[in-house]
Amino acid sequence: MSIIDVRNVVKSFSIGQRSFTAIDNITFSVDAGKFATVVGPSGCGKSTLLMMIGGLAKPTSGEVKVNGEILTRPRPDLIGMVFQDATLLPWKTALGNVEFPLQLGGVNVQKRRSRAQELLTLVGLNTFAGHFPHELSGGMRQRVGIARGLAHDPTILLMDEPFSALDEQNRTKMGQELLRIWDVTRKTVLFITHSLMEAVYLSDVIFVMSASPGRIIETIEVDIPRPRPIDVIDTVAFGRIRNRIWHLISGVEA
Amino acid sequence: MKKRLLLRVIWTLAILGAWEALVRGGLVSQIILPAPSDVVHAAMTDGFTFLKAFWVTLFEIGVSIAIAWILGLASGLVAGNMPVAAIGVGSVLSSLFAVPLVILYPIFMAWFGFGSASKIVFGVLTGYFPIALNTLNGIRAVETRYLVMARAMGANRLQLYGLVLFPLAIPSIVSGLRIGTGLVVIGVVVAEMLASLDGIGFLISYHRTLFDTGDVYLGFMFTIALAIGINRGLSELERRFSQFSAVENDT
Repeated sequence: MSIIDVRNVVKSFSIGQRSFTAIDNITFSVDAGKFATVVGPSGCGKSTLLMMIGGLAKPTSGEVKVNGEILTRPRPDLIGMVFQDATLLPWKTALGNVEFPLQLGGVNVQKRRSRAQELLTLVGLNTFAGHFPHELSGGMRQRVGIARGLAHDPTILLMDEPFSALDEQNRTKMGQELLRIWDVTRKTVLFITHSLMEAVYLSDVIFVMSASPGRIIETIEVDIPRPRPIDVIDTVAFGRIRNRIWHLISGVEA
Repeated sequence: MKKRLLLRVIWTLAILGAWEALVRGGLVSQIILPAPSDVVHAAMTDGFTFLKAFWVTLFEIGVSIAIAWILGLASGLVAGNMPVAAIGVGSVLSSLFAVPLVILYPIFMAWFGFGSASKIVFGVLTGYFPIALNTLNGIRAVETRYLVMARAMGANRLQLYGLVLFPLAIPSIVSGLRIGTGLVVIGVVVAEMLASLDGIGFLISYHRTLFDTGDVYLGFMFTIALAIGINRGLSELERRFSQFSAVENDT
């Protein structure tokens, strides 16, 4: 049962007289409960794609359906979003930031506070509820970002290169952490990254994109069994998938 | 603590004593620098007049600050909301800011008379531009990622403004208020000195022409006290909003 349906989507932008096509006829779907990743070189339109699925931008042609609906505006109850820089509000505490979507939705203070506390516990930050973003490490800020994305208990979590600003050690750790959270919450995740290792380690299915114009050139099912301990990245199966993506991407890059 | 206070009192008295001796000894002309006792004498004889004038000035400044803040914030917020128009508005505001507004004062005198109204209009005008400009720039400087985030989290237009844009612009807005408020004080006092019938500025001007240096210095002291008071208030404002200046990415 697919929950995200992207059909013949084209997105072009015009800059002055010129128009350029960021996304050229993309079709794919993601089944409910799956962890799907879009991987591709920078500038291939990954983020644009995510914005359209999130109801923040309209395709030039084609259609995007989420849960069977064409979205004309963001739907935080259906889709939670996590951003590249955590983009937390600097004057709000970790707790306040997780509460923010609930505050916007008019949820009363007590309810949203206990919900936010619950989510901070889920991401392992219950003791940091009163800390401000500048008092947290990059990884912790992203955890807050994930908790905030889950605030309305959405069906889908869209994640736009959430760990790209972290060092490798933290990145690996956050990957494991995300899988743990995913296991608990069972959201459908659409994850964007340009790290091949991250893509293979996390996903059930990987959509490989090429750049300018952005197209999906291959869909790869990752049949590595779960749970996946970190050592899985040393296995032959893992390496084979990683290399295949590498050749796909490097083959089309100028 | 007590010892420090005592030391301070002794120092102050010593300086005042030296100053008194310098003037009384004829080393400095009384027209240039009055002895402290002259200022005390002025305060004894004209203190009540100065106090009354002080209230007039305070009233003019208070009204001017209120109007300059409201107009500056409102127009900055509105202009900041119009991405294309804001570019034009911004450059108009900054070029107007560069005009020495004092040239307009004679016109304000003709329009609004010798009383408080012309001082208030002039005070508002001098303080308005930095407030409006900083508000506009503060709103425009908010990074797009915050807007995308807020929209994705379900913010409507009002929430986007009140809960995201405005707080993010606060550091810039507060510094605009700081500059603008200081300029209001200058504007009002200058206007009083140029042409008026009341207020501290008027008394300073008036006594200067009569060479009552003691009274002139008494006027200085009132003005300085006023400036210190207002500065205190602004520092408090800055302190209260300092939480909004915290940077997210400062590891």
